[in-house]
Amino acid sequence: MDLYLIMVIKKYYLWSIGIILLFILILTYKFFNPIQYDIFPKCPFYVITGYKCPGCGSQRAIHYLLNFDLQNAWRQNFLLIIAIPYIITGLIFEYQKSPTPKMLKWRKILFGYKAIVMVFIIVIGFWIVRNL
Amino acid sequence: MKKYFYTDGYTNFGPFTLEELKYKNITPETNVWYEGMGDWRKASEVPELAALFSSNIASPPNPPNPFQATGQSPFNQSADPQNKAYDPFLNTVPKTWLVESILVTILCCLPFGIAGIINAAKVESRFYAGDLQGAQRASDEAKKWTKIGFIVSIVMTVLYVLLMILGVVGSIFNYGN
Repeated sequence: MDLYLIMVIKKYYLWSIGIILLFILILTYKFFNPIQYDIFPKCPFYVITGYKCPGCGSQRAIHYLLNFDLQNAWRQNFLLIIAIPYIITGLIFEYQKSPTPKMLKWRKILFGYKAIVMVFIIVIGFWIVRNL
Repeated sequence: MKKYFYTDGYTNFGPFTLEELKYKNITPETNVWYEGMGDWRKASEVPELAALFSSNIASPPNPPNPFQATGQSPFNQSADPQNKAYDPFLNTVPKTWLVESILVTILCCLPFGIAGIINAAKVESRFYAGDLQGAQRASDEAKKWTKIGFIVSIVMTVLYVLLMILGVVGSIFNYGN
């Protein structure tokens, strides 16, 4: 085979495998509801303690999201739903190579110390409230 | 070389060299501090800083972008992993790993995610208190916990899937018998 082609495949094969696995995962979560099938991992915290953790229901929420059923997704784990836009914004900020001063200001507001403390309080609060 | 800090009365900024401080838009009323100085003092009372204000009058009304002035993009600290030691020109917040920590919390392992979030907060608070090395340490710590969370979730999933396949294959064989 062409040496150049081999180099390209070598360079990107990890990425290709990753993308294929991601695609399989998305299809699995879209077409199989974790409520009905046993193939999905259970939350160890829930299995041991009987209490829900802040991440419980996220697999079901992802299933409903992939089927555009926002209402049921929200019911399964609303922390995941509100986290998605925040996470996407965070990733954009993080991989911005040359942010403007305005972006830096927003970065500080949305992802600075106070914001992190808020995130922490929301996660712990959600954890407590969902088990009441 | 002396390193200067300045404060808006709420958050401390720095350390900066005298050269960098020129671009920080400080006024004669801004409180500044450097190591060896007892308490914060007004910039106009510090002799070497007083010179800044006379030159500021001559500068154009729009001060240059501080990041262009240092020639550094604020987020490229990780571009040179060898140079994690103190570098006055890299006065940018280290990566907090907040986003990754949240993902770990929700999708996998609560304890590792929480450890990541706590360290993310430490990165921010230490950085703005002027403790750059402490902030970098907290950043490394946050990275460690998110990495552990990521690896644990992959290993658990693979193990689970393997056990499922074995279980399914086993039950088919049992059924056959």
